[in-house]
Amino acid sequence: MQIKVEDLKYTYSPKSPFEKVALEGITFTVNEGDTIGIIGSTGSGKSTLSQHFNALIRVSHGKLYVGDMELHAKKVDLGKLRQSVGMLFQYPEYQLFADTVLQDVCFGPLNFGMSKEEAESRAKEAIELVGLNFDEVKDKSPFELSGGQKRRVAIAGIIASMPQVLVLDEPTAGLDPRGKRDILELVTKLKKSYCKTVIMISHNMDEIAEYCNRVIVLNNGKLLYDTTPRELFKDVKALEGTGLTPPHTAKIASLLANNGIIFSDLPLTVDEFVKAIKGGIAL
Amino acid sequence: MREVSIGQYYPAESFTHKLDARIKLLLTIAFIVMVFLVQSLYAYIAVAAFILIATLVSKIPILKVLKSVKAIIFIVIVMAIINLFTNREGTVLWSWWKVVITVEGIVTAVKLALRLIFLVMGTALLTYTTTPMALTDGMESLMYPLSLIKVPTHDIAIIMSIALRFIPILMEEVDKIMMAQKARGACFDRGGLLKRAKALLPVLIPLFVSAFRRADELALALDARCYNATPNRTKYKQPRLTWRDLVATIFTAVFIVLVIAINNNFWGLY
Repeated sequence: MQIKVEDLKYTYSPKSPFEKVALEGITFTVNEGDTIGIIGSTGSGKSTLSQHFNALIRVSHGKLYVGDMELHAKKVDLGKLRQSVGMLFQYPEYQLFADTVLQDVCFGPLNFGMSKEEAESRAKEAIELVGLNFDEVKDKSPFELSGGQKRRVAIAGIIASMPQVLVLDEPTAGLDPRGKRDILELVTKLKKSYCKTVIMISHNMDEIAEYCNRVIVLNNGKLLYDTTPRELFKDVKALEGTGLTPPHTAKIASLLANNGIIFSDLPLTVDEFVKAIKGGIAL
Repeated sequence: MREVSIGQYYPAESFTHKLDARIKLLLTIAFIVMVFLVQSLYAYIAVAAFILIATLVSKIPILKVLKSVKAIIFIVIVMAIINLFTNREGTVLWSWWKVVITVEGIVTAVKLALRLIFLVMGTALLTYTTTPMALTDGMESLMYPLSLIKVPTHDIAIIMSIALRFIPILMEEVDKIMMAQKARGACFDRGGLLKRAKALLPVLIPLFVSAFRRADELALALDARCYNATPNRTKYKQPRLTWRDLVATIFTAVFIVLVIAINNNFWGLY
């Protein structure tokens, strides 16, 4: 499913003392199969932009196409849209509400008009996909679970509706390194099945470098770059003034470059880096 | 959700914004008394003029002040209707079966509605022009005599300011949770009253959970900073009365006298 954004603008509380311009004419395209990272410092408009994809914020200026749906039109089939675009908010564990884990995960599928049996089988699939033992957790209250487990249940609640596009707003915030890795591996796994397109907001450049094939940089509501992580992080100065720092691999590579050790192509992930070093470029 | 306008500060540079919060509180009480004193039609006009002048002086858009009435419009209408039908004396205008509508009934209904609307508009001006912090500081200062008889006025003030401070935070939280549930296909604006109320459960439960979590965290944070370890806390900003407070007090007093004079038909207007 392709997403096309054309000259999107948004202002919070227009014509009041609280007026705040959040987006100033953003244009880009997300192709099916992309894992696109949206980065930018706090207040750069990332969350505002991502909430547009799900019509949680309606388009006030510009155009937005999600698949064959036009979100700038007056009437949008919200049910269809929200089923095809799954959205995971920051700290999703705070949205859990139902008596049992199973009910909570079924909430989405049932809202989208699935039968109870179908919803439960989807929920089972989703709970197992996020790495929880279905029989163990299904009758537990979501509030009894640990923080990491809650987050998994919340994610299961989103993917149980089988969205084709997944929008993740800082999916790994507040997790330990192991938990972070698990969540991102899960996203990789999902991409191989029904959820081909992923839009990920993150503050962690290492994650962006490792998992995204494209990256969008926002700064004060404006689109600064639309490129690949390798291109972006190659230029150490590119992110200056945005409040962002490049990933560790890029930082080390640039330090090495200062000492005359130059890579032919910037190694982005730790694995690539190790391989490049072992390949004898440096030593 | 952002539409709720009662208790929201509206930043501006104006005469009213610069008034001492204590004076504003006292004048608001005086205003409430004034509204209840009003009897004759001309006195209503005087109160309307008072509100209009006060609004203009405080540089708050009149529409914004009128919007504050939206929150109580339902109560106003119900009260007016009850008054309309229960007043059975006077000139009968229209009657059918046991329902009687009299001229006097209409007049009292309109007067009551106006009185409620005036009350809300006047008090909305207070919250529009005063920050919650200034408001609670003012209240604490006004409650000073109570502290002499061991009433914990400072604690009351801090509880109030925390409550006020958390209104926007919880509103934001409601917004966030609603969005998250909408993204999972929840719908809050369809179906009958019961269905809508039920649809709010997925919002209310996480909201309460998070409110308790926040309360816990806040209590810990207060403790960690040794809140209440020293008995006599001083204030960074000492409130001072200025010429503005005097002008505002005289202005209000003039209107109260005016309303009383009109009520007693001092000038023989009617």
